[in-house]
Amino acid sequence: MAERAEPAPARTGWPLLPVLRRMAAMPLKDPFAFAGVLIYLLFALVALFAAELAPLDPMEILFTKAGKLAANVPPGAEFPLGTTNLGRDIYAQLIYGTRSALAVGLSAAIIVATVGTIVGLVAGYFGGTTDAVLMRIADMALSLPFLPFVIVLTGFLGASTSNIVLAVALLLWPNSARVIRSQVLTLRERAYVEAARVTGASAWRILFVHIAPNILPLSFVYAAIAIGWAIITEASVSFLGFGDSGSVSWGMMLQDAFASQALSRGQYAWFVPPGICIVLVVVAGFFISRGYEEVFMPRLRGR
Amino acid sequence: MILEVDNLQIHYSTRDGTARAVDGASFVVPEGRIVGLVGESGCGKTTAVRAIMGVLAENGRQAGGRIVFKGQAMDEATTRRLRWRDIAYVPQSAMSSLDPVYTVGSQLIEVLTKRGGFSRTTARARSVELFDLVGLNERRLADYPHQFSGGMRQRAAIAMALALEPSLLLADEPVTALDVIVQRQILDVLRSLQQRLKVSMVLVTHDISVVAYLCDEVVVMYAGQVVESGPVREVLARPRHPYTMGLRNAFPDLLSDALELVPIGGSPPDLREPLSGCRFVPRCPFAQPACSLDAAMSGDGVHQSACRRDGEADTLRTAALDPRTWQRSSSFAMS
Amino acid sequence: MRLVLERFTHNALALLAVTTILFFMFRLMPGTPLAAFINENLNADQQQAMLEQFGLDRPMWQQYFIYLANLLQGEMGLSFFQRRPVMTILLEVLPNSVILTLTSLIIAYIFGVLAGAWLAWKRGSWIERAAVPAVLATRAAPEFWIGMVLLALLSFNAGWFPSGGASSPGMAYSSNWDRIFSLDYVHHLALPVLTLALYLQGLPLLLMRSNMLEVMHEEFVTMARMKGLSEWRIVIGHAARNALLPVVTAFALGVGLSMGGNVVIETVFSWPGIGRLLVQAVSVHDYPLAQGAFLMIALVLALMNFVADLLYMVLDPRVSHGRKS
Repeated sequence: MAERAEPAPARTGWPLLPVLRRMAAMPLKDPFAFAGVLIYLLFALVALFAAELAPLDPMEILFTKAGKLAANVPPGAEFPLGTTNLGRDIYAQLIYGTRSALAVGLSAAIIVATVGTIVGLVAGYFGGTTDAVLMRIADMALSLPFLPFVIVLTGFLGASTSNIVLAVALLLWPNSARVIRSQVLTLRERAYVEAARVTGASAWRILFVHIAPNILPLSFVYAAIAIGWAIITEASVSFLGFGDSGSVSWGMMLQDAFASQALSRGQYAWFVPPGICIVLVVVAGFFISRGYEEVFMPRLRGR
Repeated sequence: MILEVDNLQIHYSTRDGTARAVDGASFVVPEGRIVGLVGESGCGKTTAVRAIMGVLAENGRQAGGRIVFKGQAMDEATTRRLRWRDIAYVPQSAMSSLDPVYTVGSQLIEVLTKRGGFSRTTARARSVELFDLVGLNERRLADYPHQFSGGMRQRAAIAMALALEPSLLLADEPVTALDVIVQRQILDVLRSLQQRLKVSMVLVTHDISVVAYLCDEVVVMYAGQVVESGPVREVLARPRHPYTMGLRNAFPDLLSDALELVPIGGSPPDLREPLSGCRFVPRCPFAQPACSLDAAMSGDGVHQSACRRDGEADTLRTAALDPRTWQRSSSFAMS
Repeated sequence: MRLVLERFTHNALALLAVTTILFFMFRLMPGTPLAAFINENLNADQQQAMLEQFGLDRPMWQQYFIYLANLLQGEMGLSFFQRRPVMTILLEVLPNSVILTLTSLIIAYIFGVLAGAWLAWKRGSWIERAAVPAVLATRAAPEFWIGMVLLALLSFNAGWFPSGGASSPGMAYSSNWDRIFSLDYVHHLALPVLTLALYLQGLPLLLMRSNMLEVMHEEFVTMARMKGLSEWRIVIGHAARNALLPVVTAFALGVGLSMGGNVVIETVFSWPGIGRLLVQAVSVHDYPLAQGAFLMIALVLALMNFVADLLYMVLDPRVSHGRKS
């Protein structure tokens, strides 16, 4: 049989600290997760120091020394990635786009992880009607076509980043909720939970002190995945023209490039880098989530 | 002797070192007899049997010793040739040993046609015969493994093993997963088959009562080695190795006296560590300093024991019947 | 049979929930409640017809049931800008989306299954260690970006493929089937399919690989080896047959999910499918058309979920054949 061992949850005291320690140590053992963390750190730093890294304003329309519009200038010393057809610095847009990406990714991830975890815990532990109702709601969310829903919502409610994040979170939480719920169902039957119940611990105490810490790695798995999904969705929605026109994002860059025929002009420096950035951030999320999957359900590798 | 295992050594390479699962085990299977291979989990009995079939895990290998079948030394090519045709295997859990997406009948036919060279029609007829042999209705051939009950699945597994009329059957804990009543039924099936077909058998189990019920000979294994062997009645009535004495105490239904269950304290050694001398020393109530030096087999050719104090076997045996002997380990063992 | 009914009801209810959500969402849009179906673009007769058809002067709850009844008959109103029945427009473009989805998925899954099984075979080698992250990278890339890059490289740059649309201007066909099977159509189909297949193959590949790795350690595979069966028979006949089960289900689910996800691909390649229609309708606030397109996509999703449930029931004997004593 494929060998999978579940980590024995700590039995005495609050298992939160050992779990946190294991989670913090995970990237040190998994080279890919480590790479993922590095990538995240890199992008976080870029977002923080955007102003230092890119002196030019990403939305500013630039002119050449001769006074003409600096449109479609090829990559060079002055503009590392060239300019758009409206004379904006692509490199600056790329750098500042990091902020939007991280903002969208992180907010969506936090909402998805929180909602998914809470729903999963409550549904799994209390069962009965609560469980049935919550799972029906989850099913409804899952039967909505993802991208079309986001499009309709932003198309009609207005194109703002918060709307996009909201739509993404609304549709992504069921996945994590379901998996966490089934884990809670197994944990609920464990001896130490039984023991806690017998000694008169209240349901909420059991839930948050005993069960929740052991679920934490799972929450992180889905949080990491959600970051990637949110960024890709925001990019897709922006590409379709429903994005937030006020802010600079990689999706908006791609839309701009597409709409201004950058493809036919072969302006690879315009539309290739944003895509690569998206790939990097999303793949980092995949690696990290895989790492936490291992923490949660370690497969005995090798012998 | 249909099977001779001579100083077999099976090693597993693990992350924490090499585990010597079988470390110098020797035993023989006389033709037409049922030999019980008994011991705790981890003693190497399943590994030994899988080595005979030639299906060790990726990180396992035969590091020494010989396996001789019908007078022929078994190398990889011979093993592959003889597999199922002359040496077959009855698994512990037939549920996980049968492919869930094919009917039992089709899996039987698969073995008969692909390994036995029968035509499909002959194979179909033969599968009916085989099911009949183990007491299963032929209509069950069209069923899937999950539709069988535990006992019926084991019967099917036995039928599968006998498909190509092997001379030797290796049964790995064939009744462990069943309840007591069904256990008896399956053991009876095995016994009647063995008598009818004159098949030789190795029955691996941790349950001494199974050995007492079915086997002619018994081989007791501990920590990768054989510690005692001989005819069943003899070994169980007059065990000569302290481990066997302790095992017997753990299954009091064999003895006419109503004795309390006396477990052997402690646990088997870590097979990744280098070990010398008798491995039972830490748990043996009769251990002496010399025991840690070596433990060779002694005794008459029929009933052998790997205990240095073999000469005092009778005295030790009487002491072993007293539960208090096992509750305190020998002073030497404690050091 | 009872199980089939249960899954059908489950999916049908999910679809009902979606339609209800949609109903209320569109009613809450800026503008009058009538705005969902009536627009000054339509002429007076058409407006009147819509008013009656959808009972727009009646209370909300009545409108809801009229709406559902109309849907079951395929009546979704008139497109504001095309002034034609929404259903007609949808049925025109549906085949294009279906062909795009099915072709890409079939190619992606065939490749994914073979490559995944092969990678499982090559367990532990450097190829496998490098391949898995590489495949994850393909799943991390936005589909439309892959499309853009391919479009730039293979169409604009190399000129091997047309840059968009489903047919070259000026082509005429005697029937729809002729059009679909024409070389011109296939030529236009090539790049979108390539892009989608590239993006989609990751899932079946990783799934097949992980399934194979698990199955190969199952006891019945060791048993098959003990029986002396040929390696081929063990890997293909037993291991793969078991490993494929979840992959087939994933395929069915993939069809449902793709219809929604193809929105971006269809936009990049100007492929005249439902997704592109939805985007256009939303941009110009053509509410009936947008509703219709969304519902059609949701319908396919629910349908394929049901098909996936059915497949799972049929293909796994543990489910299709119940327990006997």
